[in-house]
Amino acid sequence: MWKFIVRRLLITFPQIILLSVLIFLMAQAMPGDALTGVIDPNVSLEEKEELRERLGLNAPWHEKYADWVGGIVQGDFGQSFRFKMPVTELLEQRLMNSFWLSLMTLLFTYLMAIPLGIISGRYNDTLLDSSITGYTYLGFATPLFIFALVMLWVFGYQLGWFPTSGSVTPGLEPGSMEYVISKFNHLLLPALSMALIQTVSTVQYLRSEIVDTKQKEFVITARAKGASESRVYNKHIFRNSLLPIAAFFGYEISFLISGTIFVEKIFGYPGMGLLFLESILLRDYSVVNAVVLIFGVAAILGALLSDIILSIVDPRIRIK
Amino acid sequence: MNKTSKWLLALMLAMVLVLAACSGGDEEADGNESEEPDTTEEEGNEEEPAEEEEPAEEEAADDGLVSIDDFGVDKTNAGEAIDGGTLNFGLVTDTVFEGILNWTFYEGAPDAEILQFFDESLLAIDNNFNFTQDGAATWEMVENEDGSVTFEITIRDNVNWHDGEPVKAEDLEFSYLVIGDPAYEGMRRYALDGVVGAEEYMAGEADSISGIEIVSDKQINITYAEPNPSLLASGIWAYPLAKHIFGDIPVAEMVESDEVRVNPIGFGPFKVESIVPGESVSYTANEDYWQGAPKLDGVTLKVVAPTTVVQALETGEVDVVDTFPTDQYVDTVDQLNNVEFLGQTDLAYTYIGFKLGTFDKEAGENITDPDAKMADVNLRRAMWHAVDNDSVGQQFYDGLRWAGTTLIVPSFPDYHDPSVEAPSYDPEMAKKILDEAGYVDVNGDGIRENPEGEELVMNFASMSGGDTAEPLAQYYIQAWEQVGLKVQLLDGRLHEMNSFYDLVENDDPSVDIYQGAWGTGSDVDQRGLYGRTAAYNYSRYTSEENDRLLTEGASAASMDVEYRKDIYKEWQELMVQDIPVFPTLYRSVLVPVNERVTDYSIQWSWDDLHEVGVTSEEAIVAE
Repeated sequence: MWKFIVRRLLITFPQIILLSVLIFLMAQAMPGDALTGVIDPNVSLEEKEELRERLGLNAPWHEKYADWVGGIVQGDFGQSFRFKMPVTELLEQRLMNSFWLSLMTLLFTYLMAIPLGIISGRYNDTLLDSSITGYTYLGFATPLFIFALVMLWVFGYQLGWFPTSGSVTPGLEPGSMEYVISKFNHLLLPALSMALIQTVSTVQYLRSEIVDTKQKEFVITARAKGASESRVYNKHIFRNSLLPIAAFFGYEISFLISGTIFVEKIFGYPGMGLLFLESILLRDYSVVNAVVLIFGVAAILGALLSDIILSIVDPRIRIK
Repeated sequence: MNKTSKWLLALMLAMVLVLAACSGGDEEADGNESEEPDTTEEEGNEEEPAEEEEPAEEEAADDGLVSIDDFGVDKTNAGEAIDGGTLNFGLVTDTVFEGILNWTFYEGAPDAEILQFFDESLLAIDNNFNFTQDGAATWEMVENEDGSVTFEITIRDNVNWHDGEPVKAEDLEFSYLVIGDPAYEGMRRYALDGVVGAEEYMAGEADSISGIEIVSDKQINITYAEPNPSLLASGIWAYPLAKHIFGDIPVAEMVESDEVRVNPIGFGPFKVESIVPGESVSYTANEDYWQGAPKLDGVTLKVVAPTTVVQALETGEVDVVDTFPTDQYVDTVDQLNNVEFLGQTDLAYTYIGFKLGTFDKEAGENITDPDAKMADVNLRRAMWHAVDNDSVGQQFYDGLRWAGTTLIVPSFPDYHDPSVEAPSYDPEMAKKILDEAGYVDVNGDGIRENPEGEELVMNFASMSGGDTAEPLAQYYIQAWEQVGLKVQLLDGRLHEMNSFYDLVENDDPSVDIYQGAWGTGSDVDQRGLYGRTAAYNYSRYTSEENDRLLTEGASAASMDVEYRKDIYKEWQELMVQDIPVFPTLYRSVLVPVNERVTDYSIQWSWDDLHEVGVTSEEAIVAE
């Protein structure tokens, strides 16, 4: 087991290094830089040139890369040109926001997916199953950015049940009970909007697994031994059907920090997705690089985690 | 670097464009999926021959077109203001605000919106952006014998920082010293232009700026080497930096410090109570404000996405926003019966420019190429005649943008000359001009060749961003085709903002025509945008007459406003004759204000936030 994990980790390192080079080169290839957007007669070309020199924007790419990597090794992602603060600090703020939003989303997603998947799989081809599958098809077809807007309009503005923007009510003391409750309250609607759409693939997945497993021979054996129907489902079918979902969980980790651009935009929720998009458009390279690197590393680690989970639950795939 | 211009808003506009590009639509277009087909359809109308244009326009006039003339700039009060209350201010933006909350360091327009509540300039302005004596400081201009000019600025006695410390002359000096410090990385270096001794200080040869003299605790004298009318037109940097707070912080670390980001300080009508990074700011009243304690208990400012701003206003979640996305106005004005819309002409214009040369970086000078593809002024004039910008404004912007005439926008009532006869929409005239100038179709393909009989294909560069960018660019291309000119979109597509400016700024030879926009700032000095040495003079147009007028307009003689007006009238006339660029659209700003709010205004000169009140605790909700 440990051997497997160590071997898997060793492959991860070159992956991350390659990723960092790719990210860096791609960011360099974007037209313009942080100062291209400063179209202001007050700031002359010479002054911009001077700033470029000072910020090291004119250095050759390998020098910049060496600088960048050197910084990262010491936990320093550089300075954000736009926010004028260390990228590390900026990421800290945003990462926490995205993390809570995604965690909540994930929670809602599984809370909905598991019962719906089980019901749908167990009573397949009934009216109940059809309506659940109907919902999943609708979910597949609905773009998240429209759905989130509708949710905001109905529950945020028409019914007024939820706050409509931001991550917390202005003016509360951080750390107080009120603050925590307000944060939670602000998470609910965006998380629900996302979960309602996100959940459909998991529902489908679970449903087809269950329908599949139902016909397996060990289920027939279990029934033949006289196990009760609920025991057959809970013990035999459900556990086996959950395997792929458990494996999928590792990938969800990368989703946990990458956030989602649409929802963050619509709900004015300052998270990673929004930061990423804005930084690309404003050529805030240090932030773009850092964010992409984190997304990439999270994806690689997520895959690693998935493999590990799988190897724990399913000894067959342990690489020899 | 030119010495005088004060183009603060140019940067802001650039930011606005960035924001627009971000989302597919900040102010340009957002959320109005239903409107899109309309626009395209009506845009189709414009391809029709000119005779059909008339009825289409009239129909449109009944169709809820709006004119900026119908809007006021001051809120009509509906009832008595109560004691206290909190104003909810919506900052309409797709992006989060950066949170650099200090005038000396901020860069983004959203941060400026946040700043205005708690800090202000020492000098007030009138609606022509000229300094008045009504601000936190009074001033006097003294002409010295050696030709320099000194501004004696006296800060009122009751002007105090939020922590109770008086605002002193040394605070203003400190601001200049920080901006000139080698470690300063902001964009305010222009504040030191022309100040005597600033060069030496920036070069590290002096510890202070010799032209800045502290006379007493409250009086400071700033000497400029040459008198310049722009100085009077809000051209003096008048934002003090609290020395008792920032004095101990190294300049390089100021912008990151908590004093800028977490507990910013000012001397404005409200104090910052708390900030949630990127989303909201709460303010409380500054009882010690120099104009008197504010009526309100406080202000809550929060970021509102352009897609949801209508709902936020409708439900009273916000009372007022910084700017309303004008493309949503027509569809929502009936629904928003709980607000009053204020509006005025924006300090910006959209324009189409013609590439006439290149910028010589070595010499720092624009070189006009007499053989450039677009060098013939008749061709350029015909192209102006060929486009119907009033219809563009009506069809794409419901009348909230309209055809521009001169390069000085009507927001400068003293300087804008409405009597200038700019080429108007007249395709027949365009054809006639082209015929006479020798642009005729010699090979019978329906497209005019140039006077030498060679094929003439022009490349048009335009920025992406917003739903209207593409149809708008296509409209211009079709309008030019109507008069027989072949124009194609550069690379067959729109360019993202950074690429666009890369192409235009570096005089990429493939660009012949481009569409851009300028924020005009608060001074009419045009040297930064159209001068011979201006890198931002993207058309690369130069002429002796232009040099003369622009120099004259910024000379000591122009300290006399009447004289300056005449000079800029002449210049506006010259631009309509020579047409290096032509303004396509003037714009409007709309600001909705909830009915409960009293004494709010969007006049440029307005600085009475402390008088704003509300008539009820809760905002009025739309019915």
